Amino acid sequence: MSFQEQLYKVLIEGDSYRTILSGLLVTLQITAVSLLFGTLLGAGVCFLCTRKNKAVSVIAGVYIAVLRGTPVLMLLLLLYYGVFARAGFAPVVVAIMTFSLNLSAHVAELLRASAQAIDTGQVEAARTLGLGRRDAFRLVALPQILRIAKPVYQSLIVNLIQWTSVVGYISITDLTRVINNTAARTMQPFLTITVGMLLYLGLSYLVYGIFALIDRRKGVRHAAD
Amino acid sequence: MPLIEVKGLCKSFGERVVLEDVNLEVSDGERIAIIGESGCGKSVFLRCLELLTVPDRGQILIDGQEITAKGADVDRIRRSMGMVYQKFHLFSHMNVMDNLCLAPVRLLGMTREAAEEKAMDLLSQVGLSTRANDFPEVLSGGQQQRIAICRSLMMDPKVLLFDEPTSALDPTMVGEVLAVIRMLSKRHLAMLIVTHEMSFARELADRVLFFAEHGIYEQGPPAEVFEHPKRAKTVAFIQKIKYFSFEITSRKFDLMKMQGGLLVFGEKYGMRHKRIGRLQLCCEELVYEMMAQCYAPEEPVSMQLAVSYAEADGRCEIELTCSGKEYNPFAQEEDELGVTILKKMAARLEYTYDGRSRISILL
Ligand SMILES: Nc1ncnc2c1ncn2[C@@H]1O[C@H](COP(=O)(O)OP(=O)(O)O)[C@@H](O)[C@H]1O
Ligand SMILES: [Mg+2]
Repeated sequence: MSFQEQLYKVLIEGDSYRTILSGLLVTLQITAVSLLFGTLLGAGVCFLCTRKNKAVSVIAGVYIAVLRGTPVLMLLLLLYYGVFARAGFAPVVVAIMTFSLNLSAHVAELLRASAQAIDTGQVEAARTLGLGRRDAFRLVALPQILRIAKPVYQSLIVNLIQWTSVVGYISITDLTRVINNTAARTMQPFLTITVGMLLYLGLSYLVYGIFALIDRRKGVRHAAD
Repeated sequence: MPLIEVKGLCKSFGERVVLEDVNLEVSDGERIAIIGESGCGKSVFLRCLELLTVPDRGQILIDGQEITAKGADVDRIRRSMGMVYQKFHLFSHMNVMDNLCLAPVRLLGMTREAAEEKAMDLLSQVGLSTRANDFPEVLSGGQQQRIAICRSLMMDPKVLLFDEPTSALDPTMVGEVLAVIRMLSKRHLAMLIVTHEMSFARELADRVLFFAEHGIYEQGPPAEVFEHPKRAKTVAFIQKIKYFSFEITSRKFDLMKMQGGLLVFGEKYGMRHKRIGRLQLCCEELVYEMMAQCYAPEEPVSMQLAVSYAEADGRCEIELTCSGKEYNPFAQEEDELGVTILKKMAARLEYTYDGRSRISILL
């Protein structure tokens, strides 16, 4: 079989590309929604983690340690077959919960470390000028925390995309699962899986591209100032 | 009413007592230098005034308002105080102009235009008007500190607190920052300056506080504290810094007497002979250069030479003040031979003029 024929079989025959695209969409969906919830939750956990109240900060610390220290697939299985076994949630919902929880621990830890890395003297300087606690945080600390956190956050997103490839375990037809099915059906594993990898690679570069674009926009604003 | 009133201030960290029953009144426009061994609580004291460190006991009143009171509007009281730190702490994600405009625009309701105009005015006063759009990271320490001072001034404070403003600087940049602080002393602005620059403290301050034993151990006008300290620890601290002074009132002054005095001074405190030689050479070149340039042939001469030597770390500083016309020997197109020698030997050269020329050289 020529390469064109193989390609036809893998991508076109029986509207194969549509199936692959729908898998890609599921992957994107789970990633995007988990990213949103995970980031918000992570910010909340980080907030709790830096409270003076010992009990609160210890609990937040344990939350972070447990979720970062265990495989996300374990959490997925635990939630799907254990905690929510009788709740009747759609698999996608459980997947989103899983990845949100897992990502939140990573985001919380990232924000905590970034907050520790900033120069607290600058926050004090803002306070002595008369800025309130909130203003000093929002105008001085936060922009610097975010700037420090950004590169790692970017790779957290890329990792998240890749972690979602395990959702097939709870019978979600995501990109990985679709690729796997297609490979079996067409008996062209090499080509099909290569296509799958290229798609994941494309997604990763999309993330980097978006961040670079945001940077460029900001750069333009700076120059215009 | 005093501008700052501190009553019975106490602060400990765990078992470690840092301040115990400190009392102080600072009047409007007063300039106070705070000196003392490191670790004796000078920074903690300044931080308490701003309530960055919360005292265990005692009251602090700023312009009549008690910042230590329960429910006090701390943010508002802080507006009337500025603080300048050893490490500058400019907002690193903002350019110089944004650093300066942030607080007044947000807190005083200034328009951005008005704030920028004021900022440019301050920046040009400290010689940095071309740096408005730069970010702090590209500026030298001395430039950053000058901008930090401007940032505080943007809020029109009644008092500025300086915590060792020149200690983190390269020796070559100390002068430019001291010059700015000196310039501020012409405004009606109270200042509390923690410093190790003794000749600066002496020249600028109305009152000197020597901190030891958990508080203000001795205080008084600079001439008194530096020349006739009364209590044992002050004496020990001050005497680590030795002074030599020499008055020159005529063109035909006794050079041999000056050189002899410097030699005796240096030998007494164990300076090495090579160093004494350099000290003598510097003083001689400096005196002759200024005499030649500042005075017309028949004009009366009035120059004071002061040398300070810190036994503790071997710092030796020469200061010459002279009347006559303004002349900065270090800023000429072509250096006289004497000036070339001075530049070679000095770690720091500084010239200021405020009716009299003042030259300070760190050997
Ligand atoms: N936040 C803190 N926690 C514990 N000890 C402190 C703290 N801040 C200062 N100290 C202690 O208080 C003493 C005085 O410090 P400081 O005021 O910084 O001295 P200095 O006179 O050199 O400015 C030092 O012994 C220091 O160790
Ligand atoms: Mg200190």
